Amino acid sequence: MEPIDREVEERELLLPSEPVHLNMGPSHPAMHGTVRIVLELSGETVQRADVQIGYLHRGFEKMCERGTWAQVFPYCDRLNYVSPILNNVGYALAVEKLCDLQIPERCQWYRMILGELGRISDHLTCLAAMGMELGAFTPFLWFMKAREMIYDLLEEETGARVTHSYCRIGGMARPPTPHFKEMCTGVLSPVLALLTDGEKMLVGNRIFLDRVEHVGEISQADAISLSWTGPCLRSTGVAYDVRKAHPYLRYDEVEFDVPVGKNGDCLDRFLVRLAEIRQSVRVIEQAALRMPDAGPVNVEDPRVMLPDKGDVYTTIEATIRHFKLIMEGAKVPAGEVYSYTEAGNGELGFYLVSDGTGQPYRVRIRPPCFPITGTLSKLVTGRMLSDIIPTFGSLNMIGGECDH
Amino acid sequence: MPSFKLDGKEIPFLPGDSIIRAAYRQGVDIPHYCWHPGLSAPANCRMCLVEIVPPPGQRPMMLDILEWDAEKREYRTVQKPKLQPACQMPAVDGQEVRADTSEYVEDARRAVQESLLLNHPVDCPICDQSGECKLQDYWLAYQGTAKRMRDEPVHKVKAASFGDTIVYDGERCVMCTRCVRFMDEVAHDPVLGMRGRGNLNEIFVAPGRKLAGHYTFMTEHVCPVGALTTKDFRFKARVWFLRSADSVCQGCATGCRAHLDFDARNNTVYRYRPRESRALDAFWMCDEGMLTYKRAHAERLLDARLGGRVAGAAAALEAARKLFEGVAKDSVAVVLSAQHSLEDNWALLELARKSLGTTSLYFSGDADGYEDAVLIHKDKNSNTLGVHGLAPDAKPYDQLILDAVAGRVTHAIALGSAAPRRSADDVDTLKGLRALVTIACHEGPFAEAAHVVLPATSWAEASGTYVNARGVKQRAEQAILPLGSARPAWEQVAALGRALGHEPSWTTLADVRAKLGLGQAPAAPQVEAAQTGTTGA
Repeated sequence: MEPIDREVEERELLLPSEPVHLNMGPSHPAMHGTVRIVLELSGETVQRADVQIGYLHRGFEKMCERGTWAQVFPYCDRLNYVSPILNNVGYALAVEKLCDLQIPERCQWYRMILGELGRISDHLTCLAAMGMELGAFTPFLWFMKAREMIYDLLEEETGARVTHSYCRIGGMARPPTPHFKEMCTGVLSPVLALLTDGEKMLVGNRIFLDRVEHVGEISQADAISLSWTGPCLRSTGVAYDVRKAHPYLRYDEVEFDVPVGKNGDCLDRFLVRLAEIRQSVRVIEQAALRMPDAGPVNVEDPRVMLPDKGDVYTTIEATIRHFKLIMEGAKVPAGEVYSYTEAGNGELGFYLVSDGTGQPYRVRIRPPCFPITGTLSKLVTGRMLSDIIPTFGSLNMIGGECDH
Repeated sequence: MPSFKLDGKEIPFLPGDSIIRAAYRQGVDIPHYCWHPGLSAPANCRMCLVEIVPPPGQRPMMLDILEWDAEKREYRTVQKPKLQPACQMPAVDGQEVRADTSEYVEDARRAVQESLLLNHPVDCPICDQSGECKLQDYWLAYQGTAKRMRDEPVHKVKAASFGDTIVYDGERCVMCTRCVRFMDEVAHDPVLGMRGRGNLNEIFVAPGRKLAGHYTFMTEHVCPVGALTTKDFRFKARVWFLRSADSVCQGCATGCRAHLDFDARNNTVYRYRPRESRALDAFWMCDEGMLTYKRAHAERLLDARLGGRVAGAAAALEAARKLFEGVAKDSVAVVLSAQHSLEDNWALLELARKSLGTTSLYFSGDADGYEDAVLIHKDKNSNTLGVHGLAPDAKPYDQLILDAVAGRVTHAIALGSAAPRRSADDVDTLKGLRALVTIACHEGPFAEAAHVVLPATSWAEASGTYVNARGVKQRAEQAILPLGSARPAWEQVAALGRALGHEPSWTTLADVRAKLGLGQAPAAPQVEAAQTGTTGA
């Protein structure tokens, strides 16, 4: 029997060149959070990419303005939910700046250690997901294993894996557990070992490099003019890190480097995050040495700090203090403040306005990945469809943070 | 005008003013428990202590005190200036007073506050004052520390009934004697007193007497802490859930300024509170007036009615149209209400004069009742003068009944349901009319007799303007949302007018107010004579 297509001429077919429209997301395994990209493809080349972020919208800032100042902390956990403790610290510092509170040294070190642990878990998640989406499943499992160790430690300290709600205005919910420092040092070496293993699997891997090198490139000038911050900005060679440029807590008393990249491509973003994990480990090691083992963690200011629960039930003064703080909220002096910290994705800013009541008048958040995500379409236009995956992964868009 | 300096701020004063009163007039509050702008000044709480800087060339009055030296672990003798109670010290031209800026004053306030809380029970969670308690506010503002006493606090009488309206809790009491002075100076019934000494003293009712009369609620209102609570409000609501509307009491023609406190979550009114104004010397309300908040929910008409049965609004208006078909305009009577706002009455009057063309105007309201020289007016309607101002020729209720019996009135539109008397004969007379349409918020003779009833909002559910017995126009703002299918009476009048074939000349409250010459903004407090003759230092 003869093949049926025998008579078809073996020459290139003239296909209609009308663009193909393709929806990526809002629910797609490679879409971190719910984001939708409407693509206009010519073949496999992206001609237009319309990035739509509105699928996760909680009215975050307005929610914050409905409760008391202290009730914002649980909301902060849900900003960048892979490093919630950094958001907690950022918001606490903003309110404390408005209240002009000096928090005890022990608390400052404690916040730094917890924050750096949060940063490590943030970067690990980003690196793991980026590799996994390009087919590297083994390093994903290793990085997740390392992240789980950090989550265990954070759970031991705060009582929750992810939604810590652990900071307070003027301190923390509880002092460090007795074995906190040992647990920190105990967790860092296995995390580093897993990181090194994963790094070996990826960074020398031709399949991986081909997908990320010179993909999603951005120039220094563009990154700055588009308000990029954090590892993504540093991958272009700009050594801007809030911890160095505008030190808060005790970052000016510890030694660490600000790793930078060169090309601003996906590979550089990957490498910068990888290097930052090691810098965070350095910070934690120094902070653990410096943190006092005893002493107050919280300010003793009745205007903001809840009294001891035992006293609330037995003395009128503590009852009144508890009542005023819970029912009316801590009265933050009227004024406005912009306070910013280095979160996992870059500069996390809180612009707060107080009218002197126990309720925030305005909470404006500058989420670091918002301007970065806004650049995605520029980065992928003209590239192949498959380049979207590493580019999007390396930008580390977090849906909760992008809620605007 | 003479003036003195308080913490660097220039405070003008009237001759005879105390420091605290002059500051109060300027909107500056010196913390205090026992002083009240409407009462005399006993200076017994010591919270308002201030440092008065002596004139140049004079030595300050200094006191020797013992101060604990923590380093040497012994007492040492130091001197501090003698502080003065701001409620007792007359303001003197050019003097300099330090309150918030003086460390000695700060110290004194902390000490006074600590002493007041020494024996205070841990009652905030079960106390009705919680959330509006001066002990709470001042602890946070001026003390902020725990007490140093480790002894068992003194126990005193709890939940003692002082009468039919007030409950006393001795442990919460700070002995400011505001209630004692109120009963003495304002209610002129010195039935309360203080007995015992030191930390054992307590407020008591004169033996054989009860705390009764027309001004018992005010003892609770002046109480800066939770010692006195009213049986009416006790355990009903937590104040931090309540919202306030600037209202006007509907109890009598005095029209006291009041806060109407309501819970927006269940759309319920909970209480009245006097609405003080630093410009007016008006602080009080009477018991009867305080309780009129209940009228927002009691005996309400919440649905349209047709022949005494609940009906839809459209059916009711259609029935009204049929009843008034082809009627001669002279036989239509319009009854205004002394209990409804100017806006409501104006709308009905507009319908009567412009659309129906009738000149047969009447007005109705509750009968006169108890009056006294303090606050209570014999006219129990909130807007009698307002109605007289709009329709000076309106005839009283009795004339309406006579005219109805005589057949001079066959059709009537009535605003409000109140009548000076509750008589079955009157109701029968009104029922005998060929048509009676009543627009009202409460049950009453007119609603009972009406062929068609249209439900109106009460003063608590709509913004309205009332003219009190002194001729002062006051705005009562809306508190809760309209209940049932009630709508503001001016709106119901418009709907009725449309049903009768007359397009009304207004569609919004702003239209009505523009026609009445009332501004949109709430009426500013107008300076009027003091409600009571009693003022303190």
